Amino acid sequence: MRSLPRCFLVSLVLPALVAIHAHCQAAARQQGEIAWAIHYDPKTFDPAKVDDQASELVRYLTGGVLLRLNRQTGEPEPQLAESFHVSPQGTLIVFKLRQGLRFSDGSALTSADVAWSLRRVLDPATQAVVAEEFISPAQVTVDTPDKLTVQIHLPKRIVGVGKVFDEIAIEPANRPSEGRVTPGPFTVSDYQRGRYIRLSRNPNYWRRDGAGVQLPYAASLRLDILNNREQEIALFLRGEYDLIDGLSPDYFALVAQRSPQSVHDLGASLNTEQIWFNQSPAAPLPEFEKAWFSNHGFRVAVSEAIHRADLARIAYDGHATPAFGFISPANKTWHNDLLKYPHESVADANRTLAAAGFHRSGNQLYDAAGHLVKFSIVSNAGNAARQKMAAMIQQDLAAIGMQVTIVTLDFPALIERLMHRQDYEACLLGTSNAEEDPSSMMNMWLSSSPNHQWNPSEKTPATTWEAEIDERMQFQASSPSQSDRKAAVDRVQQIVADWQPFIYLVYPNVLQAISPQLRGVKPAILSPGPVWNIEFLRREAADAKEGAR
Amino acid sequence: MTKRVSLLLLFLLIFAAALTLRVSRYDYAMQDRDAIMAPSSAQHSTGTDELGRDRTVRVAAALLIGLAGATVAAAITTMIAASFGLLAAFSPPWLASILLFISDVFLSLPWLFLLMMVRSLLPLTVSPLVTAVATFLVLAVLGWPACARAIYRGAVALRESEWMIHGHACGLRPWQLMRLHLLPHLRPLLLPQFLISVPAFIAAEANLGALGLGVGEPMPSWGSMLLELDNSALLARSHWIYLPIALLVVVLLILDSFTSEVGASA
Repeated sequence: MRSLPRCFLVSLVLPALVAIHAHCQAAARQQGEIAWAIHYDPKTFDPAKVDDQASELVRYLTGGVLLRLNRQTGEPEPQLAESFHVSPQGTLIVFKLRQGLRFSDGSALTSADVAWSLRRVLDPATQAVVAEEFISPAQVTVDTPDKLTVQIHLPKRIVGVGKVFDEIAIEPANRPSEGRVTPGPFTVSDYQRGRYIRLSRNPNYWRRDGAGVQLPYAASLRLDILNNREQEIALFLRGEYDLIDGLSPDYFALVAQRSPQSVHDLGASLNTEQIWFNQSPAAPLPEFEKAWFSNHGFRVAVSEAIHRADLARIAYDGHATPAFGFISPANKTWHNDLLKYPHESVADANRTLAAAGFHRSGNQLYDAAGHLVKFSIVSNAGNAARQKMAAMIQQDLAAIGMQVTIVTLDFPALIERLMHRQDYEACLLGTSNAEEDPSSMMNMWLSSSPNHQWNPSEKTPATTWEAEIDERMQFQASSPSQSDRKAAVDRVQQIVADWQPFIYLVYPNVLQAISPQLRGVKPAILSPGPVWNIEFLRREAADAKEGAR
Repeated sequence: MTKRVSLLLLFLLIFAAALTLRVSRYDYAMQDRDAIMAPSSAQHSTGTDELGRDRTVRVAAALLIGLAGATVAAAITTMIAASFGLLAAFSPPWLASILLFISDVFLSLPWLFLLMMVRSLLPLTVSPLVTAVATFLVLAVLGWPACARAIYRGAVALRESEWMIHGHACGLRPWQLMRLHLLPHLRPLLLPQFLISVPAFIAAEANLGALGLGVGEPMPSWGSMLLELDNSALLARSHWIYLPIALLVVVLLILDSFTSEVGASA
């Protein structure tokens, strides 16, 4: 105990020394190599079993796929398949493969390899996440009439063919290699757990550029495993990394100050930040609190009291867009431009609360039974922007008499409360949307889903408006008509804006830092961001210098 | 540094902090959203933080909260330690062994994880003031074993002293013996233990707060303000961001110096 203050000083100095030491630990760059950081080790290199972001990135960079979704246009583009055809009923898809395809080890790629890879993904034993997109994967059959043709028979039409086949990497039949033998642009050549993954150029990659030069341009890629924003930025500014995807808004100005041509704000992302109240009847909360949270006027008043423009300006340093619905304006195909939503006004919020049976006494708000309105908002620790938003919402809601406590929990503890114990009052979190198509959000909107966060796993919809959301979302997921789908999704957006089960706050902007030495980048907001056209990226200036040596 | 200089400096800091809170027109939680990370100005002498809150007011409040909480927690922990140590010293040997074993178990516990666990068990809706009280209370409840060991040894030595035997022989009751003889003789042991605990608890709260487990927002604490130092982008925007850590180091050094002087004179 005697030396605790000194221990405290040491505890301040030690992390700094460790951080300085760690700065020297980026692996040496090989000639023509592009390097950047990912935050966690991939859970798997098996492309069929991918269910986390890091594994998904490795699959994207190494996997050869039949179709690739163009991240700028949103259109599917043939890759290993030279062409594809979907029958009018949507139950037959025929792929025609390119001539002369080879895996990275030189062996030929035929329709047998494609069929084997597809059957493996559809096999329940594989537990492939993408299999869910086929609705009834067990009833899907794959035929190979010849070495270049693959026929897929589906029991039902599937939505977003381009996206589905973008996620299925073709592997050599009966020789799954976890990314070491692929027909994609790169192969896994070296993996040091917790340090880095090195991917080497596939010498047999099928694609060439307009001038006939073999792709990819880069000799190798190095993905350092680094979960430290400060170090990542320091290494980027020192030129040891070529890009940062998902630059934190706090650091945008810092990087812009030191390297103005490196930073890019691509505008609103597809992601949302929102708060919601726990409306689960099974929640261990007092009945009067449950009554508040299921009160439409209460939720609308909260929405009206929050100053979203301030959240975007302060919590995100201006790199966010105020949000009023679950589909971002960046999603031009599906965003409802005619959405009507509660406007920000403290006076309106007070009127809405009065109409809903609440009353003020001094600076405090009471319900009709005289209970003081106070509740907590839980969020996850370690997200600075979210914590700032929570503190600002606390002040905004104080203006309408609500006493709010902010609680930050580590992620496992938070998920335990949300998903299992349902022991929370309100929650502030974000939703990452990797796809534009609203079918990918079904698990959040269907009332029977465990991810229907404000009231999970309902046996039957608790309200008529939830029943209507169920109906419209199921309709859009199976309708062949794009205009009908759009109308259904527009209606769901309006229902959500009217009833405010989620109170949307902001759409964080897509922020990227890209080294000026890195050429060929075509910025895109969809994952994997700046490396979506990885075959065309190269470190031009660096290569020239290295060549001169 | 003499005791008097240390005390004077500490008093001046407390007085300045109290005066700041008294005369300032800002509340520690008040967000001025048009003055985010504002530089030093006539309105905000040391600028504002990321939410536009006056940094001077927040540092002053953190200083008073930290000192008050740590002092009360140190008093509680010293009382628990004294009770436990005395009970063990005057108990039959078998009971003393059990009590000392309990204290050893407490000493061997990973206190930081225990603090985190206890802190996370608090109900979600507790007010920031309650989280502050709970944080220091938890520190007090977990901080006594080392102190209790020292007091036990001191009490055992006193138990066998001639004047204690003489007191027994004169018919003094146990509480009279304790009040008249034991506690006055243990004072040179108890006072340094108390004084050591104050900076230790301030540092412990700062560590807990830096982990996001200390005093709840928007109430300021050393820990929550030190979190700002984790962000190099903020460090580049204002030098006043170093004010909390600078002041914390000064407070700890003053308390450390004062404790050393008291320990030496005791």
